Amino acid sequence: MMAQPLSSAIDTAFKSNIVPDQEYLLQGSVLDKVVEVLLHRLRGLCDNVDSGPEPFQDHEMCFTIRTTPTPLNLRVRRALDHQEMPWQLRYIGQPEYGDKMRPTIIRSSIDIGCSATVVEFLTELGCRMEFEYIARGYMFRKGRMKITVSKVFKMNQNKSQESMEPLSESYLVELSVLAPRGQDAIAEDMRSFAEQLRPLVNLDKVDFKRLVHGPP
Amino acid sequence: MILMPNFGVVVAGPPRTVHLLNNSEQPATVFSILESGQKQVPLVSDPLFMDLMKKLASVYTGKQQTRMEAKGPRFEVADFLVKLGTVTMNQNFKGVLVEVEYRPCVVPAYCWELIREFMQGFLGTCAPAQAPVYLQNRMQEIYQPLDTIQQYLEQFREYRKAVTVR
Amino acid sequence: MAYSVNVAIEAPIENQIQEISYDGTEVYQQPLSMSESLSKLAAKIDFGKGQEEKEEKPNEKQEDEAAAKDPAAYQSSLWPWDSVRNKLKNALTEVCVLSDVLAIAKEKRYLVLDPVPQDPPEIKAMVTVYARKKALGGAAAVLLTGAERLRTSQSELVRNRSVPDFHLELLQLRKNWRLKKVGNSIIGDVSYRTAGSKFAQSGMFEVSKAEEDTPSNWSPPPPQSPNAGPAPPKTPSALRVTLPSELQGVAFIEVHCRKDDEALFSTTVTSASLNTAGPMPDMHWQKKLEAAQNVLFCKELFNQLAKEAVQLPGPIPHMVVGNQIVASILPGIQLIIGLRHSTSSNSKKSSGPPQQKKSDHDHVLEHSIHQLLREVHHKNTHHPFPHPSSGPLGPSKQRCLAGPTAVDRHELTEMSKSQTLLEQIIEQTQHFTMRRRTEYVLDTIAKEVRDPLIVSHWNSINSPTKACVKVNILTHGYDTICRTLLTIHVGKKSLKCICRDGSVMNMSYEIQELRDLLICQIHQHQITAVQALAKCMGWQLLSNSMHLGVGEVQQMGNASSCILASPIGDRLIAVRCEPQAGVHVSIAHSPRKDFFPSQLVKERKWENLGGSYKEVRWDKMEGKNFLNKMELLMASLTSSS
Repeated sequence: MMAQPLSSAIDTAFKSNIVPDQEYLLQGSVLDKVVEVLLHRLRGLCDNVDSGPEPFQDHEMCFTIRTTPTPLNLRVRRALDHQEMPWQLRYIGQPEYGDKMRPTIIRSSIDIGCSATVVEFLTELGCRMEFEYIARGYMFRKGRMKITVSKVFKMNQNKSQESMEPLSESYLVELSVLAPRGQDAIAEDMRSFAEQLRPLVNLDKVDFKRLVHGPP
Repeated sequence: MILMPNFGVVVAGPPRTVHLLNNSEQPATVFSILESGQKQVPLVSDPLFMDLMKKLASVYTGKQQTRMEAKGPRFEVADFLVKLGTVTMNQNFKGVLVEVEYRPCVVPAYCWELIREFMQGFLGTCAPAQAPVYLQNRMQEIYQPLDTIQQYLEQFREYRKAVTVR
Repeated sequence: MAYSVNVAIEAPIENQIQEISYDGTEVYQQPLSMSESLSKLAAKIDFGKGQEEKEEKPNEKQEDEAAAKDPAAYQSSLWPWDSVRNKLKNALTEVCVLSDVLAIAKEKRYLVLDPVPQDPPEIKAMVTVYARKKALGGAAAVLLTGAERLRTSQSELVRNRSVPDFHLELLQLRKNWRLKKVGNSIIGDVSYRTAGSKFAQSGMFEVSKAEEDTPSNWSPPPPQSPNAGPAPPKTPSALRVTLPSELQGVAFIEVHCRKDDEALFSTTVTSASLNTAGPMPDMHWQKKLEAAQNVLFCKELFNQLAKEAVQLPGPIPHMVVGNQIVASILPGIQLIIGLRHSTSSNSKKSSGPPQQKKSDHDHVLEHSIHQLLREVHHKNTHHPFPHPSSGPLGPSKQRCLAGPTAVDRHELTEMSKSQTLLEQIIEQTQHFTMRRRTEYVLDTIAKEVRDPLIVSHWNSINSPTKACVKVNILTHGYDTICRTLLTIHVGKKSLKCICRDGSVMNMSYEIQELRDLLICQIHQHQITAVQALAKCMGWQLLSNSMHLGVGEVQQMGNASSCILASPIGDRLIAVRCEPQAGVHVSIAHSPRKDFFPSQLVKERKWENLGGSYKEVRWDKMEGKNFLNKMELLMASLTSSS
């Protein structure tokens, strides 16, 4: 029994536009004092009111390949509270900046599940780890949209879980959708959902380049 | 059916090769083995990894080496699974590989003799007396699909080196 | 003649008269010159206080000097300036000293300025408290009067109104149902769409104000059914809920199993009211809406099942006729699923089984079907979350693990398989039938066979498609010596029995096979118990056979037997247990009593070969049960010599 070669299957999948490789993203942040109010609000707005928000605790490491003119970023993420789930290797492309009228950031994103040897693999391949952190928080969903409210913790030298220290006194709120290319209508839905959260948190496009170089 | 496109990677340090293998028995998986000098790092992941490697291939100044394929019919005999693979390297015929799998057992040491006897039944004198080199150190460990792939890799390497048909 | 008198109008003398000389001339004091008036004014200035005159100082200094230079210095004009000059001089001295002190203090070598700690001003706490209390009291009084006024107006309104307020009722309605205002009307939704249903029929209803009904027109509802009890007093409501016509009324899914030989359909139309209260035109809106939601749910369920029944291939195709689905479970047994919907205008049932079959309706299976659809809805909304959180929403946990753990093709196809609702309910019904049959067999055998006791324990934890029962065969009084355990797993279409020796028997849905097995086990138990008893009594086992090949062939089960020898070997007991004829026990003496040397057999020693067997009249034997009798028999046959 012969199966279609896997690589050509993937190519056809990509061509027929069913593999979600674009991420639409809106980000914001909220202070520790008011995060409870935000969680309460999200709980009411999002799906599955009965089951409550889903907690998560992830450890993310960011690797860079420096041999190219534009450094390539690869992120490796694993769930600390679900050790049996596979590790995730994520490639995030540069956001498309051209259109100012677009409601959300659009960037290409490829998520690959892999075994735990991925860190060794990448190090042998020549990538270097830039930084790592732990994110702990809650996840919600509404239709296709995923909303995460998480706090970023700095990893300590001894890498024990109790001695993590938070990076700031606020929570990062992200609203994202993974969709195939060309489905821009979802961006409008995301924008209207973000409006509903407006007085508590402002979800908006964040210009990373400006953040990196900082205001003069 | 096993497919193996290949990427050679040149970075500072020893030259590294990434082998990407697909097995039609596990259609939802891609196996990648990175060889750097003496060290080997395997990675088992979703098929999207191939797309990522294509992106990375533009990063690395590697050349895509030969593509090897083992294709053929698959037979199920009671608890055994026999696959006869015709090995082609870039459409050139290289030889024939026979894969025998004994499905109920997961530890090679317990069933190596049984497999050998079974192979003798239809291969006659061609049946190997010794277990494959890769497995000899791993006879008491639980067998994984990755081990099949490693064995294929070994064989493909032999084919690459060989000049004549094997 | 008037003489005009010249009136001289003169201003009064402004200047003071200094002196009046003797000739009457007045010497006026000269008005003050500018400088004199200035000096007079300057004298009035108090230099001890006020800084606003500082800027005038330089001018006055000059004037001062001018006045000082004045040779014809009047004492009167000099004195005011003198005081001014002195004052200014003092001021200058003070200022110089001050500036010197400041300069020195600034240097901090000889003089340092330090603040003097001062006591804070005393706050009189009680005063502020009293002030605030008074202010709050005033504000509270204002608010209370306002509230009082509102309360009295509200209670008057409530007292005067017999019908509850429309808005209050709307609030109540909103607590239970989703409402939306569209244009001028209020529209609500009874469908399960937000819970995950994908049914196309919409469940919109409209809310409006009820017309004002005079209480005399409202008559109490007639009693609906004998067991409904007295109807609760119904208060008229201010809301009226308008439902679409296909959702009105009450519906339920009727499920029952039936053997093939009963009549399939009867066309008698019986007018019977359902057990649940029929819909009344003025039933409370909550009940109406709940009933409509139930109708929609039942419609969706029936729709789904009918679709699957038509598409599903099976050995015997399922039939869908009108409002009924007929599916075959096992050969000879059918499952009937019907949709019963009655509206207030139509109190007749659709064609179906006659009235007396109503009691067969299986509530458990109906509940199962409802649960299955709810599970489908739940799966539609509750997708698993990705862990780690950056993964895509959607793939199940198994699918996420499939890539990195290299699952093979077979497992992937298994993962993607799913069962339809109809398949699931058929499986559950099959299991239900198997379980009932197993129970029946166990109960009848337990009733029939009294001697070894048959005790069955059903596991309380089971699933809709699997159950387990442990059967214990023991003899009363001898349960420590021997007991036979069987475990029977009841599946969907088969039974699996695990016997005491570990052998596994797979049986089909024919229940006679189970009966056969149980009877075999009972007789084996008897023989095994006899053997165990013999060991206790000191008797030896010579031979035994669990499935005896000699003797009559039994219709059900097999005969078992054993032969025992007494401790000293002089007596033999042969036991044969069979289902049809019961128990046969025979005894033999080992050295024959009736041995006589004959021509062929000469020597005495041949008497030890054992005599013939004589049967024991078992029914006359003393003892409560078989083992008891055996014990007594063995005891009596054991001789001490």
